[in-house]
Amino acid sequence: MKSKDVVIIGAGITGLSVAYYLSRNGVRNIAVIDKSFPGSGSTGRCGTGIRQQFTTREHIVLMRESVKLWREWETSLPLSVHFRQGGYLWLLETEKEVSNFEKYVKLQNLFGVESRIIDKYEAKQIVPDLDIESIAGASWCPTDGNAYPFDTVEALKLALKNYGTEINAFEEVVGIETRGGAVKSVITNKETYSTNLVIDAAGFGARKIAKMAGIDLPLKLYRHQIAVSEPVKVFLEPMIVKGELYFTQTYRGRIIGGTDLNEPETESLQSTERFLEKYATELLSVMPVLSSLNVMRQWAGFYVVSPDHHPILGGTPVSGFLVATGFSGHGFMLGPVIGKLMAMYVLHGIMYLPEANNLGLDRFKKGKLIEEKAVIG
Amino acid sequence: MREISKHPVLSFERGKRIKFLFEGSPVTAYQGETVAMALYRNGIDVFSESPKLHRPRGMFCAIGKCSSCMMRVNGVPNVRTCILPVREGMTVERQKGLGEKPSKAVKYPPPVIREEKVAIVGSGPAGLSAAITLAENGVAPLIIEQNPRLGGQLIKQTHKFFGSERENAGKRGIDIASEMIESVKKAGVEFYLNSTAFGFYEGKTLGVFAENKLLKIRSKYFIFATGAAEKMIPFEGNDLPGVFGAGAAQTMMNVYGIKPGENVLMVGAGNVGLIVSYQMLQAGINVKAVIEAAPKIGGYFVHAAKIRRFGVPIYTSTTIKKAIGERRVEKAVIVSLNKKFEEIPGTEKALDVDTICLATGLIPSVSLLAQSGVRMKYVSALGGYVPLRNKYLRTSLPNVYVAGDITGIEEASTAILEGEIAAYSILSDMGKDVEKELSDAISELSELRSGPFGAKIVFGMKEVQYE
Ligand SMILES: Cc1cc2nc3c(=O)[nH]c(=O)nc-3n(C[C@H](O)[C@H](O)[C@H](O)COP(=O)(O)OP(=O)(O)OC[C@H]3O[C@@H](n4cnc5c(N)ncnc54)[C@H](O)[C@@H]3O)c2cc1C
Ligand code: FES
Repeated sequence: MKSKDVVIIGAGITGLSVAYYLSRNGVRNIAVIDKSFPGSGSTGRCGTGIRQQFTTREHIVLMRESVKLWREWETSLPLSVHFRQGGYLWLLETEKEVSNFEKYVKLQNLFGVESRIIDKYEAKQIVPDLDIESIAGASWCPTDGNAYPFDTVEALKLALKNYGTEINAFEEVVGIETRGGAVKSVITNKETYSTNLVIDAAGFGARKIAKMAGIDLPLKLYRHQIAVSEPVKVFLEPMIVKGELYFTQTYRGRIIGGTDLNEPETESLQSTERFLEKYATELLSVMPVLSSLNVMRQWAGFYVVSPDHHPILGGTPVSGFLVATGFSGHGFMLGPVIGKLMAMYVLHGIMYLPEANNLGLDRFKKGKLIEEKAVIG
Repeated sequence: MREISKHPVLSFERGKRIKFLFEGSPVTAYQGETVAMALYRNGIDVFSESPKLHRPRGMFCAIGKCSSCMMRVNGVPNVRTCILPVREGMTVERQKGLGEKPSKAVKYPPPVIREEKVAIVGSGPAGLSAAITLAENGVAPLIIEQNPRLGGQLIKQTHKFFGSERENAGKRGIDIASEMIESVKKAGVEFYLNSTAFGFYEGKTLGVFAENKLLKIRSKYFIFATGAAEKMIPFEGNDLPGVFGAGAAQTMMNVYGIKPGENVLMVGAGNVGLIVSYQMLQAGINVKAVIEAAPKIGGYFVHAAKIRRFGVPIYTSTTIKKAIGERRVEKAVIVSLNKKFEEIPGTEKALDVDTICLATGLIPSVSLLAQSGVRMKYVSALGGYVPLRNKYLRTSLPNVYVAGDITGIEEASTAILEGEIAAYSILSDMGKDVEKELSDAISELSELRSGPFGAKIVFGMKEVQYE
């Protein structure tokens, strides 16, 4: 039996980031527990994208803050996370789409995000290899970008090590003990941790973990796939989005991207031929010059999706049991701000960005859902 | 010139001369050889510069498994030149660091969809014997091979095989290969060469890039006979051109008639290291030494005796410390090891060699299986991750079978038998009466493994077999 001030379940970007901000603020008697290796969940499987071009106040405000923190991480963490502000270029096919995006851009501008609508010729200037024939315009935000998931995990791991915060990998949580409506302990296949505070950051496992505490999280798991090409010298810095397709080039030279197959819920994480075919077709219609590049790897991960495509953050009916999940495909980019929000919440009992108050679990009971229209891949 | 002119066993038929452009200058090649071989024959060792430190890189495996030979060909980056047949007028360029993006959009024809009963990936002894067995029993399989020739590693094995009559004892690998290739062709088995299987989806569809078109092979059964890749070992300078897998040296000499170098250090005194050393001596190459980290020679005594007769020293408890050179290997430093395999300071010795061959083991090529979720296990005695399977060589996916080195590193005779077993298992699954043939092949295989050299394999097998 070990005694811990905080037990964080999940060593994806969410769990590690919460642990980082807690450690930075003096809380060190923490255990971060993961059933596999850090980054093995959706974090290590994601598309690397970081954007502020969203359609709701909550996402825009959180992501504007997160971009600020990503920039900070790039210098304050002991290793580079390779955060690059190459911009997001969102290609729009019809005039109707353009006029919708004009509305989103207005909202984004209102909260200080420098996005704007551009015509297709300017899009071509930004990315000369684009085929612009079938597009009507684009939404462009130069301060969006991407970071490298494995470098991010390594940087956070090292930072935690420097603080003396422990990460217990390859240890699986099998039970959570509560008494009188409050958390008492976390039981794993190796150890029992007595604690008053648990943060469920278990990504695809978050729903199962919450169930152990008697809480039902309204989450669904959808398989999403990705492919990377063999590397070539970096020539593409922005993330390109068109319909369900997104892609960019990592700093290591690989074209990374995905698309959506609109599949039903599944537990399988196999990659499929159907994905590669759809992705390649969409990719080549936007950037034909890539046709002779080889695909090097394909893989799949889960989008952990909430009913309104927004995160579920903060307290639950069980005292001391907090959640940070349901990122619906946006958890990597939100990593820094979620970590800071949750850590401040633990320390001070409030969400330091008021918008985060709208993201509690209770919103589903109260019927206060928020709808996000810009979910990709 | 690096051409082998006289050889006691082989004669080389060379195709007609053609020309292609390397870095803007014309280079002469023989039709039928690969770009990498043509360059190497012409004295070109450096194929690219490494992505970060811009170190010179050349080929390593020569069979399409390591990506060390990637170049820009006709404006397309990252082409494995060791398996690309040379064509008149091609433009070939070095990649300086990562390759530049493609010069232009290449238009490919629409994908070809094939519906098959049995698809075989790999045409080494395992794949060929499976194909022959299937064809003889009225089932025509389709073979996919990424190299320009059928036969896998067998087409470079000039030594005579051990074993019983049934397993081709006394015959040379190359002759066994020609016979098998002959039978496959006679039986009218269809095959695609220069075709890389790049993806295996949900145990059902194989994605293949066949020269310039995409094949989608949907098949009831699959046999994976993809072989193995040579292991690189860590030492300073191991990426210099002139460091080759021993199998690559064999391919150069015995398939293409090219000398890998003039003065060679062979690392590893297992059978591969000993046999390839002997073949180098036959090709008129000077083998300076064979070194072995273990305290005793791993291979057969007869092979060791043969090369000792040539005066080649075999140093046991010795390893390679570093390779030295500017654009290719110029020297190798070796060092003695104590019983704990630690270097003994002061025992370093520099050898004047231009080539270092690594005969330090192989790793089964299992990635396609892994992609489709075939259950794997790491078994060191078998060379790495290998698929779990039953004695009929069926994997955890009921329509997917394996044969040859992909099941664990062994040799050609066992690969041939495994090919047969996989084929008979499928035939039996299809309802053909081949029970006797199947059980005969299974007992022959266990007989073949009953010697002292099979002990390790049998031990490893226990880890991965299920009922
Ligand atoms: C294909 C794809 C593309 C994506 N693209 C992007 C993108 O471009 N930008 C972006 O911002 N987001 C993207 N996402 C979403 C993003 O990856 C996730 O939202 C984010 O990684 C969530 O982080 P997490 O730490 O909450 O979860 P995870 O990274 O999944 O971490 C959860 C951890 O919990 C552990 N765990 C689970 N159960 C247990 C248990 N019982 N005991 C102990 N440990 C347990 C798991 O092993 C895992 O390591 C993408 C996702 C996918 C699948
Ligand atoms: S892939 Fe060509 S040398 Fe290995």
